[in-house]
Amino acid sequence: MKHLLIIGNSAAGISCAENIRKKDKEIKITILSKEDYTAYNRCLISYYLSGDVKEDKLIYRAKDFYKDNAIELLLNKKAIRIDAKKNQVVLEDKTRLDYDVLLVANGASPKFPEIKGIRKKGVLGFRTIADTKEMLDMSLVSPVACILGGGLIGLKAAYGLKKRNLDVKVIVKSPQVLSQILDKESSEMFQRRLIEHGIEILTGSDVQEVIGNGDCKAIKLDSGKVIATSLVVVGKGVTPNTDLIEESGISFDEGIKVDEYMKTNIPTIYAAGDIAQAYDAILEKASVNALWPNAVEQGMIAARNIMGENKKYAGSTGMNSVEFFGLPVISFGMTRPPHPGEDGYEEIVTRDKRNTIYKKIILKNNVIKGAIFVNKIENIGILLKLAKLKVDVSTIKDTLLRSDFNFSVTKDLHYEKEEFYL
Amino acid sequence: MKKLYYDPKKCTACKTCEIVCAIGHSPSKDLYTAIVEDNVSLPSVRVYVGQEGNFPLACRHCKDHPCVNACIASALSYDTEKGLLFNKEKCVGCWMCVMACPYGAVRTDKRDNKSVRCDLCADINDPRCAKNCPTKAIVYVEEKK
Repeated sequence: MKHLLIIGNSAAGISCAENIRKKDKEIKITILSKEDYTAYNRCLISYYLSGDVKEDKLIYRAKDFYKDNAIELLLNKKAIRIDAKKNQVVLEDKTRLDYDVLLVANGASPKFPEIKGIRKKGVLGFRTIADTKEMLDMSLVSPVACILGGGLIGLKAAYGLKKRNLDVKVIVKSPQVLSQILDKESSEMFQRRLIEHGIEILTGSDVQEVIGNGDCKAIKLDSGKVIATSLVVVGKGVTPNTDLIEESGISFDEGIKVDEYMKTNIPTIYAAGDIAQAYDAILEKASVNALWPNAVEQGMIAARNIMGENKKYAGSTGMNSVEFFGLPVISFGMTRPPHPGEDGYEEIVTRDKRNTIYKKIILKNNVIKGAIFVNKIENIGILLKLAKLKVDVSTIKDTLLRSDFNFSVTKDLHYEKEEFYL
Repeated sequence: MKKLYYDPKKCTACKTCEIVCAIGHSPSKDLYTAIVEDNVSLPSVRVYVGQEGNFPLACRHCKDHPCVNACIASALSYDTEKGLLFNKEKCVGCWMCVMACPYGAVRTDKRDNKSVRCDLCADINDPRCAKNCPTKAIVYVEEKK
């Protein structure tokens, strides 16, 4: 009987196991996790931090799932090395696990900047239930929290801790928050909203040092300013957990390089999720788009190819949906074109009179390359699909940002003809 | 499984489908009570008025269901017989499904921060929009291959 070993017990790993079990009851499946929990909704930890959801809502797949699907789950087992020549994975406790097919889906970890004192107690990433619980414990003793980074993770931590009534200060190196996923105008809308709700944002500043004896007591900024705090959250992006593959012969760049079948350069090894560098369907180049929906899809594609279906992956996308203090935004693809007005790039924008709604679409030669919808988010998925299919939208361009825009406007443009309109 | 199909030429945009959908998903399921309920029920089907006809639209219960893949709260799942299943209690209003839906068929309800979606009237196993459409512009029939 063939043995599939999956390193990683989150979106990609579970999706792979689940999709295999839909069709194949024979193959032996083992999932390895370095964490202590059955699979959980990782993206909900910010809702858990803010108190919007309780711990029981974090469950993604409970114990029964593994039992019902005949999946062996090994918790608290950290894989440290892949011995591809012997088809074995080496664990921290020196145990070796054999496999016939391996899926590397062990995700990513928060990037910690290399500054003095960054590993002191009280300086946390925001990735796991354990991080969140520690943050909640610290929130009881530290009235002030400093967040390093104004990206999505940093601001979600800021939001959650503000809801826990902490004095929250966000230290942002760039001139704006959310600069990776928004443009200037939309990021200003969010910056205003966060400030209105009592979150302090220090743009254009960086942290130089974490001060304290073992425990974090304060941080020092590059301006020389010192802020007293025992809780620091690092929200400087994530980096794929490629440590264990370094001597394996698996090729990697920013993440593990995979082909359109989610296969690595080694025929028995696949990769999916936040560790995988797959093809980006909109940017048309290899990218790590470490996002839950991409991980689920990639796990599914890997599963189908492990079963020999030759299923091609259409590609991942950079896309985000987030809401802070009642202000929602969805954006995808390119949000700041490299050369606006040149090389075929074009931006179309609309806003309401009170500047509470903002929508922008970026096109290149009449193909949608990205969009930002603030405070009126419905229907953006139609644009995402058009972007992925690289559809020429010149005939409907003037309707895209109209309030009455809807699917029927686009129905004749799809090459996959939609048959539900008779 | 059966699916909803729409005929834009027959649709007069009378919006009976929207009304029966909202009433059918209200706690009382009665028009005169439903309109005075605390959180007035929202329809999951909407009719868009267009030049070439009128276009009703609700969740397509797609086989590849990108919304289920995108849901970060395990509120969505898919059943080959029943279509898309929504556990409203688990929904956190992250709107990942809005981002993922290629039809723009997911509606947001800001009052309780939950999405509003078609359940094909699972309670009576017969979608009210099709059942009550006066011009038969909405039909509920076996999936066309």
